[in-house]
Amino acid sequence: MGNYSIIGHSVPQIDAKEKAKGVAEFVSDLQFPGMLYGKILRSPHPHARLLQIDPSRAKRLKGVKAVVTAEDTPNLPFGPRTEDWTIFAVDKVRFIGDEVAAVAAVDEETAEEALELIQVEYEELPAVFDPVEAMKPGAPLIHNRENNIVSEFRLNKGDVDRAFRECDWVHAERYYTNQVYQAYLEPMACVAHFDPQGKLTLYLATQIPSMTRITYAKALGLPLEKVRVVVPHYGGAFGAKMETNLHLAGAVLSQKTGKPVRMVNNREEDFMAGNPRVPMHIDLKVGAKKDGKLVAKEVRIIGASGARAVYSMAIVATACYRVDSLYHFEHLRTEGITVYTNTVPTSCFRGFGNAQMTFALESTLDRIAEALKMDPAELRIRNGLKTGEVSIHGWQIGSSGLEDCIRKAVEASGWKEKRRQKRFGRGLGLACCNHVSGNRAFSREFDGGAGIVRIGREGKVLVYHGESDMGQGQKTAFAQIVAEELGVRLDQIEVAPVDTDISPFGMGSFATRGTVFGGNGLKAAAREAKEEIFQIAAELFETSPSQLEAREGKIYVKGEPERHLPFAKVAEAGVLRRGGAPIVGIGFWVPDTVLPDPVTKYGNISPAYPFACQIAEVEVDTETGNVTVVNYTAAHDVGQAVNPVAIEGQIEGGVTQ
Amino acid sequence: MKYPLKLTVNGELFEVEIPANRTLLDLLRNDLNLKGTKEGCGTGECGACTVLLDGEPVNSCLVLALQAEGREVITIEGVSDGERLHPIQEALIHYGAIQCGFCTPGMILSAKALLDRDPNPTERKIRESLVGNFCRCTGYQKIVEAILSLRSREKE
Repeated sequence: MGNYSIIGHSVPQIDAKEKAKGVAEFVSDLQFPGMLYGKILRSPHPHARLLQIDPSRAKRLKGVKAVVTAEDTPNLPFGPRTEDWTIFAVDKVRFIGDEVAAVAAVDEETAEEALELIQVEYEELPAVFDPVEAMKPGAPLIHNRENNIVSEFRLNKGDVDRAFRECDWVHAERYYTNQVYQAYLEPMACVAHFDPQGKLTLYLATQIPSMTRITYAKALGLPLEKVRVVVPHYGGAFGAKMETNLHLAGAVLSQKTGKPVRMVNNREEDFMAGNPRVPMHIDLKVGAKKDGKLVAKEVRIIGASGARAVYSMAIVATACYRVDSLYHFEHLRTEGITVYTNTVPTSCFRGFGNAQMTFALESTLDRIAEALKMDPAELRIRNGLKTGEVSIHGWQIGSSGLEDCIRKAVEASGWKEKRRQKRFGRGLGLACCNHVSGNRAFSREFDGGAGIVRIGREGKVLVYHGESDMGQGQKTAFAQIVAEELGVRLDQIEVAPVDTDISPFGMGSFATRGTVFGGNGLKAAAREAKEEIFQIAAELFETSPSQLEAREGKIYVKGEPERHLPFAKVAEAGVLRRGGAPIVGIGFWVPDTVLPDPVTKYGNISPAYPFACQIAEVEVDTETGNVTVVNYTAAHDVGQAVNPVAIEGQIEGGVTQ
Repeated sequence: MKYPLKLTVNGELFEVEIPANRTLLDLLRNDLNLKGTKEGCGTGECGACTVLLDGEPVNSCLVLALQAEGREVITIEGVSDGERLHPIQEALIHYGAIQCGFCTPGMILSAKALLDRDPNPTERKIRESLVGNFCRCTGYQKIVEAILSLRSREKE
């Protein structure tokens, strides 16, 4: 760990004050002159043929400015992964909540009233809700795909059948994990505005500004340069806030009316048409030797993607094989099938499939530990990946704190004593997990992060990044990294909102990648800016840049503490000498990850791998079955904590969630 | 049909004419442009719209604006004294109890209602008083720690 003066020290979020005062403007607070309010007419049926839409009565309602349907869109198929999306339903609706039409009106109440006046004729079709049912022959076809299958994932290593025969203990079990709604406090929202030159500005609550921009340009049939995405404050996401038709419906309404249009889901709509976690049927079989060594794992997952695929197939694949880099297995048989259902489209939620499989695997390991009469903590330590090891899928574990996490959690929770003195109705459970910090496999064309650091005449350091702060404190982490590198105070830094006209292209915030990638990109940018500002300071001091150092907003001549200038003074001199040009550092960081082989999945997908162990102590009311968590211990290997208080908040929030 | 309404918001008297179905939340956000009060659900579940009505915390989405006739409303905009933050705001910032911040205004008003009544609440009492304010980011731990630090006996 480095010797830092700002990184690694707990600081409040740099925008905490404006949030505490209630003056931070969230997407659903934005207001523009002439702004209209949009609402979506959603399907009341899980599966139906769309025979006719008559918007004429709605259009006549006073205050209504536009009613749009698929006919008002370019009607191009699109989607983040598979092109099974349209902005509004065409021919069929496929889930309760599917977008059928949208209204823009002078206020939300009028827009809601207008929705009731749109007459839609449906012919109901048989629907299917469970992915196992949806795969059966004769099940209603949702997208004319054979057996409703979106995608199939297979990955085999070693000789699983022989390995199971040679195991001392094999445990097989079927698990089911629910479709869980993320329930961020601010529902999905946007403001869309087409200007008279035909350029669309989207103020979005999105974790992936640059990626949504590409997807949306395609959906709207616009060249990329005609779409600009700006990301204001937004109220939480937890994986859900990526692409959504809500944003596109707003764009279509704005195009039609020439006015800015604000769209905000009400909470019920957000439940109906958000992006909840992919529910999975998991069949898991694990074999071990007497001494607790895990040998073989066979898994078959059937996941429900809902009525269109968002990232579900990648999530099912992740659930299939990420844990193989948590514990050593020599033999693997893996199958993950993602299936359309007539339910809300499902997608990312904290862990990208990892949570679902962690539940199944860790439950299975407890059964194995019990059968082998081993301490469940010992079983995990024995099999966990260690620093310097390479997993069966090629992940190079630069550092693993797994064993430390287990030992610390065991100690802090009183695991050993409490397990000895068993009390009726009380129980103690332990689980481990691993994860990535960015995932090379997510977008095969690209890996990396970039940043821009701009220092103006007044000495203010403006930081531009292309990731997304949904409340996790990323902006603060970026400010800390840039302040550390430049040798300025934290209050000299301002982090600009993401604006795709100005900010670097960024993949966005997911898979625990934003701070690592954006932060390293900004570190490189700050280094560039520092070189420039040292060049100017060297001229002022009549020395060479190598003789300079910066700390707390001042630039010093090394070894001469009385010779120093405020950072702002140097910046001013530089800007004035250079015809007004700001001091700009642009930097990027591309990690030496290895793109996984498309078939074997062998590769090194992340620049770092976090590990964790958590222990829950619960009390069960033996009459009602009600479970109360009485104690909880979480130990995480987070690498270098940029802002310790923020990462504690992430872990506490994650545990509670 | 519009009805006259006279109420005090953050010490300022407002006289407006509004339809009978306007909620206090919509009045604050849209008519008075006080956007610090948030709408998270509109059905009284999440507490993001909490304001004080004559000192009592209410979900402003469930109160008709006309019910506030002649009464005194405090919103987040009325909690700090200009640039001088209220101790609850200071504590939430200091303890890292603010992440996305969407629940924060409502949370602060519920905490204020509690501490105004009882300057020395137990931890249990604090948790009970915040039961109507959802936060999905923090897991509540740092929020409770922040409010515990404000008890008058902690400060002695």
